[in-house]
Amino acid sequence: MPKHDTPMLDELEKGPWPSFVTDIKRQAAQSPQCWDILGQLELSFKDKITHWKHGGIVGVFGYGGGIVGRYSDVPKQFPGVAHFHTVRLAQPSGMYYSTKKMRAICDLWQKYGSGMTNMHGSTGDLVLLGTTTDQLEPMFYEMTHDLNQDLGGSGSNLRTPSCCLGMSRCEWSCYDTQALCHFLTMHYQDEIHRPAFPYKFKFKFSGCPNDCVAAIARSDFAVIGTWKDDIRIDQAAVKGYMKGDFKANAGAHSGRDWGKFNIQTEVVDLCPTGCMWMEGETLKIDNANCTRCMHCINVMPRALRPGVETGATICVGAKAPILDGAQFATMTIPFMKIDAESEYSDVVDAIEKIWDWWMEVGKNRERVGETIQRVGLPTFLTVMGVDILPQHIREPRSNPYVFWKEEEVEGGWTRDVKEFRKRNAQ
Amino acid sequence: MALSKEELKAAILEKAKTAPKPQLYIKDFYACDPDAKPRDVKNIANDLVKEGKMMFWSSGSTTMYAMPDRIKNEETRHE
Ligand code: SF4
Ligand code: SF4
Repeated sequence: MPKHDTPMLDELEKGPWPSFVTDIKRQAAQSPQCWDILGQLELSFKDKITHWKHGGIVGVFGYGGGIVGRYSDVPKQFPGVAHFHTVRLAQPSGMYYSTKKMRAICDLWQKYGSGMTNMHGSTGDLVLLGTTTDQLEPMFYEMTHDLNQDLGGSGSNLRTPSCCLGMSRCEWSCYDTQALCHFLTMHYQDEIHRPAFPYKFKFKFSGCPNDCVAAIARSDFAVIGTWKDDIRIDQAAVKGYMKGDFKANAGAHSGRDWGKFNIQTEVVDLCPTGCMWMEGETLKIDNANCTRCMHCINVMPRALRPGVETGATICVGAKAPILDGAQFATMTIPFMKIDAESEYSDVVDAIEKIWDWWMEVGKNRERVGETIQRVGLPTFLTVMGVDILPQHIREPRSNPYVFWKEEEVEGGWTRDVKEFRKRNAQ
Repeated sequence: MALSKEELKAAILEKAKTAPKPQLYIKDFYACDPDAKPRDVKNIANDLVKEGKMMFWSSGSTTMYAMPDRIKNEETRHE
């Protein structure tokens, strides 16, 4: 496959950062089809339109996801990318893998594909870019038999669940994110490998409100660690920070001189709910008004820690801007114990309530967040059996009518029409 | 009354054969038996794929169902 002239792409190699153009050129030395990726991309820059066609019937036997068909609409010009399918591999919980495994995956992809990878894709998967339909079954056989590796989700499937590294390295984790992620991945194998819904559905698990996997922005079902009791305060360590014994933010952001640490301006005044104050050198928190934003804990990790009565908040319905613009997930269940003993039965119940409702009420290609937006949050909360709290209310009501439910009205909706007519005879 | 598993399979295949478009969303099959649970319809449609009577067609973000002989023409458009 010949090299193409790519003057516009070459410009992208001139900046200070590593360039994907340089990476692809390097890979083309081993996989000449990569020259055609660059050639087609240069043409797209020139035509200001993509030359990829999405979709197709590619897949491996028994699976309805994990492989995404990609075809060039200019195959004669760029035969190396005429078929250029993507393969998604399920990533391990917390994205821990050995270099041995990584090498084996790269070797596999050099053998069956373009050798190009994208780690990690936005769902979390290890993404392998560029192969042809005839390579899929042999690649899948070797991957499952020799590498003990499975495909991830795509299409209208449950997408590969992903989690932060949680308790394996992070003292803030309020539940074992990796254990829950692994449990649900195994529990819902059918939903991951075969289409199950009107559209995609994503789970993400963060151990605390820092939300390192951006669950609140990117998942239909976000499980975000939190605590019920008070932030634990070590007042001696608070004083240590004030004296300068410890670096704020554990030394992060130290690339420039921020001056002497000031607990008032850097912590207390930045508390979003204004629920912190100093009494002399003692830090006070009105925990009932704390929104668990993590700011104070992030700044003074030696002095402040999440409470001990831990669990998670369930937020539902984030999505990217395809139809009505992007949106964050909405807080649905404020606190749930994450209980491995019961095989996470509360989490499973909540998930299945959402699925049963959304599969019925959701339209084709409608994310659950859009369904909630369409029918209204009160209806969704009723489906979930959640009592409505002040925190569920986004703005004061603008609708003057009050709608009663039948069970709230004495005698219900039944009435004797004849009786009524007698009294209201025209 | 909900259809039996076999009756629902037959109704789904009939719909996939006769619908104007070759690819159908899972929701398009719910009407085959309004009394059946959406998850049961999904399971039966997926069984039909396992049996080779239907195929998945995926755009990458959504997955649809189709009869193999109706979708092959679509696929060869890419060649
Ligand atoms: S989300 Fe919280 S618990 Fe998880 S890694 Fe990030 S800071 Fe730690
Ligand atoms: S976690 Fe956030 S809201 Fe809570 S006390 Fe600290 S700064 Fe305030």
